[in-house]
Amino acid sequence: MAAPEPNADAPAIRVRALSKTFDVPVRAAGLRSALTSIVKRKTRAVEAVREVSLEVAAGEIVGFLGPNGAGKTTTLKMLAGLLHPSAGQAHVLGFVPQDRQKAFLRQITLVMGQRNQLLWDIPVEDSFERNRAIYRIAPADYRRTVDELSDLLDLGELLDKPVRNLSLGERMKCEVAAALLHTPRILFLDEPTIGLDVTMQRRIREFVADYNRRTGASVLLTSHYMADVEALCKRVVVIHHGRILYDGALSELVQRFASHKTLNLELEEGDEGAGTDLSRYGEVVSSGAGRASLRIPKAETPATTARLLSELPVKDLTVEDPPIEEVIERVFSAEAE
Amino acid sequence: MNALRLLWVFARVGAMGELAYRANFWLQLLESFLAMGSTLGVVAVVVSQTDSLHGWQPAELVAVVGVYFAILGTINLVIAPSLSQFMQDVREGTLDFTLTKPEDAQLLVSVSNVHVFKLIDVVFGLAVLALATARLGTEVGPVQALAFASALLLGAAIVYSFWIALATMAFWFIRLENVLMIFWMVYGAGRWPLGIYPDWMRWGLTLLVPVAFAVTVPAEALTGRLDAATLGGAALVASFALAGSRLFWRRGLRQYSGASA
Amino acid sequence: MKQALDLYGTLLRVAIAGNIQYRAAGMVWMLGMVIEPVIYLVVWSAVADSRGESVAGYDARDFAAYYLTFFVLHHLTFTWIMEVFQYRVQQGSLSFELLRPIHPIYADIADNVAYKLVMLVVMIPAAVVIALAFEPRFQPVGWSLALLPIAVVLAFFTRFFLEWGLAMSAFWTTRTTAVNRTYYSIYLFLSGRAAPIALLPAWLSGVAEHLPFYAMIGFPVELALGKLSPERALSGLGVQLVWTLFALGFVAMVWRRAVRRFSAVGG
Repeated sequence: MAAPEPNADAPAIRVRALSKTFDVPVRAAGLRSALTSIVKRKTRAVEAVREVSLEVAAGEIVGFLGPNGAGKTTTLKMLAGLLHPSAGQAHVLGFVPQDRQKAFLRQITLVMGQRNQLLWDIPVEDSFERNRAIYRIAPADYRRTVDELSDLLDLGELLDKPVRNLSLGERMKCEVAAALLHTPRILFLDEPTIGLDVTMQRRIREFVADYNRRTGASVLLTSHYMADVEALCKRVVVIHHGRILYDGALSELVQRFASHKTLNLELEEGDEGAGTDLSRYGEVVSSGAGRASLRIPKAETPATTARLLSELPVKDLTVEDPPIEEVIERVFSAEAE
Repeated sequence: MNALRLLWVFARVGAMGELAYRANFWLQLLESFLAMGSTLGVVAVVVSQTDSLHGWQPAELVAVVGVYFAILGTINLVIAPSLSQFMQDVREGTLDFTLTKPEDAQLLVSVSNVHVFKLIDVVFGLAVLALATARLGTEVGPVQALAFASALLLGAAIVYSFWIALATMAFWFIRLENVLMIFWMVYGAGRWPLGIYPDWMRWGLTLLVPVAFAVTVPAEALTGRLDAATLGGAALVASFALAGSRLFWRRGLRQYSGASA
Repeated sequence: MKQALDLYGTLLRVAIAGNIQYRAAGMVWMLGMVIEPVIYLVVWSAVADSRGESVAGYDARDFAAYYLTFFVLHHLTFTWIMEVFQYRVQQGSLSFELLRPIHPIYADIADNVAYKLVMLVVMIPAAVVIALAFEPRFQPVGWSLALLPIAVVLAFFTRFFLEWGLAMSAFWTTRTTAVNRTYYSIYLFLSGRAAPIALLPAWLSGVAEHLPFYAMIGFPVELALGKLSPERALSGLGVQLVWTLFALGFVAMVWRRAVRRFSAVGG
């Protein structure tokens, strides 16, 4: 079992037509079907991931976007070797993930925002100690990494507290640190900032970006918070119903899918658009106190702007792209149609 | 050796966790004392009525109690807490963390949780065993001691295989606490030499729940009742149990990762 | 009265539904309750066999009758309040119950009775299996059996009140495990569970006869088997009555204090 030597130029992750089908038991309500299901289990195949192909270069940060149940986490789990694909191939650092070779596992890590691996009742550092033993980190390296991480994440006095005494944010910082003690080259982050307050979210984000810069590790991230994705990922992969709908730069996603722009108006005092029916110009999102927001189809934006400026006493006017959440939502609804 | 290394690290971490609640030590001491006291109390009542129970003399009955507690303590020390942790991990999805570790998963889940204070039961058990042996006055020669040690080790291996097989079922069924409770209830039968039970119960206690191999066989070794055939049989059963539970574990893991689908 | 009946009716219906829901767990409990008496039965039968004669008036088949009866009457009278309370304190639901307009003991009694009704389905076959396997010999005595229902009801209430009161102590000390373990260790010997108390050393069985543990189970069992003289049966009932009243007073006192403490501290 020769461990494949990772080639520096090869992509860190290479996925070809990866699919995952789950057999979900189905059972109608009632005693009768409960009894028959004991003898003969009926199952329904659910395609969680369908023919996903993608490549991730070393050092790249890729955001996985998609609604709940889109297949993001299933894909992540296949790449981490937790789930066997039903079809297709995946190579991560040259390894086949589901073989779960030790050399592979030593180079990856998994962080799940909704679950923790730290032991509840014991001080954080003891949990670290366990990981040190499992990953067989040399004491000197371990010491250095812990110092570095506690510096960057400001863990200082948290280390000797039992996990149950930490706040959610503090716990997450420690979770992330515990997951990085062995300086992995691939990070799988599943909703790492879920439930955290804005400051703590930013903290974790900055740390991930920093780790990526320093070590050149690749990061695969799923998140519901667009702020995470906007801050970290130049590239996003949008998944819906198990399929890739979009794979490319975040900026281009907006260009491609945003159909509307938002016009924010401020009118001169005294004339608050009284008598003017703004809906002539476009869909009114909000209005009042001399201000209004209009939603205008992208193609009509120049013309409408010109009309507004000539017909109304406009004091100020700005044109904005819609929030990214809205764009994403649009991608999904477009697919559904 | 790797197993021992990890066990040591986990035990140290577990010990530090438990030492934070020092009162629990006294509680455990009281608990062990009461459990041992009442079991010996019942033996005392029994031997006040008879000199020998199915050929087992009072001191030999006490020796059985000693082995019973030593094995009980071992199960509660590491096997039971680790595997309940594992079942909880399956339920809550945190098993994924274990599976992404570069170490054999079965090994990791088997030693993940160590309740060090349960050592008190082991110590009590061994102490009672030592006293009983001294009382017996029979020479425990090197051969007998070796037979006893191997029987004890084989018994522990069989009990461990039994538990890992039970725990592996967590990959298919969510609620297993009840099954584990049955184990504890039946294991209580091991306080007495197996010979006193009617045949049908003896089969159950040998095959369904390995009380016989865990407690009675080692006790037989110490009291000079064990023949080479039984010890050989125990070795055979232990190897099959270890191999079988390992295969079952792999099967469970494949189920978990959907490899068979 | 009508209100009380309505309350009990509702509580009982809810409790029965709940117990059917958790029947798997209930059956496991049941199995546990079969195994322990069977172990003692086997041990004592072995003792009788080894001696080749009866032990304090019990031969192997008498022991079978003793433990079979023990199993049935234990099912009728036991409670799991002490384990449950520990959990209630940990979850903080005890404080909550102190605030309800009805005494929580009603719901507990309803739950206990419901469990026992639901579990009859398992209990009866279990008793039949024990009977077939160990061939008990019953020599019932009419007047003695006639007194049995009274003895069982008194036993139930003695046990229920006493254990409920002890369980309430969880409100003051968080170390309820220690209390429970100690209680059960004493119970094991003095109730007639480990052995009929006649088999204990004379001084100990003399003490045991006057304690609530024997009143809770050992006494009704011996009464059912017709092992007692009329005088001892009557004095046994007297002891039961005294302990029931004592336990009732104990619960009332503990409850009052708990409520007072709760309203003072505010949980």
